[in-house]
Amino acid sequence: MNPTVQTALLHKLLALADDELILSHRNAEWIGHGPILEEDIAIGNIAQDELGHATVWYGLYCELTGDDPDALVFLREPADFRNVQMMELPKGDWAFTMLRQYLFDAYEVVMLAALQASTYQPLAEAVAKIRNEEIYHYRHTTAWIRRLGLGTEESQCRLQNALDELWPFAQQLFVPLPDEVVLVEEGIVAETADLHTNWQNLVIPHLTDSGLTIPSDDTPIANHRSQHTSHLTHLLNDMQLVARLDAAAKW
Amino acid sequence: MPDTQWPRYEVFKQDSPKKRHTSVGTVHAPDAEMALLNARDVFVRRPSAVSIWVVPATAVFTITAEEMELNPNWHKLVTEEVPAKTYYIFAKQSQRRSMTYVEHVGEVEAKTAVQAIQKASQNRDFAPDDVFVWWAVPAAAVTRSEDDDIASMFAPAQDKTYRQQSYYGFVDPLRKSGK
Repeated sequence: MNPTVQTALLHKLLALADDELILSHRNAEWIGHGPILEEDIAIGNIAQDELGHATVWYGLYCELTGDDPDALVFLREPADFRNVQMMELPKGDWAFTMLRQYLFDAYEVVMLAALQASTYQPLAEAVAKIRNEEIYHYRHTTAWIRRLGLGTEESQCRLQNALDELWPFAQQLFVPLPDEVVLVEEGIVAETADLHTNWQNLVIPHLTDSGLTIPSDDTPIANHRSQHTSHLTHLLNDMQLVARLDAAAKW
Repeated sequence: MPDTQWPRYEVFKQDSPKKRHTSVGTVHAPDAEMALLNARDVFVRRPSAVSIWVVPATAVFTITAEEMELNPNWHKLVTEEVPAKTYYIFAKQSQRRSMTYVEHVGEVEAKTAVQAIQKASQNRDFAPDDVFVWWAVPAAAVTRSEDDDIASMFAPAQDKTYRQQSYYGFVDPLRKSGK
């Protein structure tokens, strides 16, 4: 693989991995606090799956660089993370958490479907494993959105508030990385604009059928994944605290 | 105190196409579709499974062998009478495994749940061994996972290694240091 392509691929893998890791951490904050025991287990399950997917992406990254995945996760500075801002937002209420997960699940469903055809074989193989779990997450959150949207006045109001807040954040998922065009030319990833269209075709009808109004402004909240909110620093302080006490400790 | 939980659903899990659906426990859910998803998350994350059924707990009629013995007129118990329809029959025939409660042993056409159990209990094909507990459930009350669901609902669990917490030996170093 030529160095330009490899560099672009590393950027992409890190973005994929960081999205899953940070979302997983936010979902894990519900453990012990879920609205009902069954959902507590379900959200823990989703969080664990996303962490597993992050491990897959970090694994592909580290195969190419020789880095230690644990060091990437536990010793990296906030400014070096490449997740979209949506993932780092505090977990909010249940409507917010379910909607964020739903918007991400729909993105993963369309993105993974396209990645199955990736010309980079390790990527295509990883997708086969991840995709089944994502289809289930998508089913779970799709069901929740319908029930919250068509439930009570309060549940609909909370979900609409969440949508108004999350909509510009979700658009950042479809901002191509600065060098992503290299990967598109090589057939390694699909065109982000196409993914965006497929995503809109999935989520807009479902959100509308669930009684919600789609916000009119779909300008992405940020154009580069190096830009973060202060929430990420707090999240990482929490997540990295123990590992940073003694970075050389053997576990 | 009033029950603030969602309604209860009985969950039946099938571990391979040749095995029977076995009762594994209950979940709370606002409706049958969510019950199916909750059942998957609670009961089939690690072990393998190929199918699950969920049934509203209120749709289950149950009677034990002891109750039948103590009340010889049990078959005259009044339950809702409806036009002849299919009932799923479940029976508990073993005391061996704690997880084994009742398992699916067949279907009968009957007007009521009591009549369904009466028919099943008179036919050794349903349960060749002694039965401790009978359940009857209208087939129409059963919500099932589909064959298409196997890949996303059940297959991922097969790749996941289940480890007891003792696998992670982080206690030992502390003990060794005498603290």
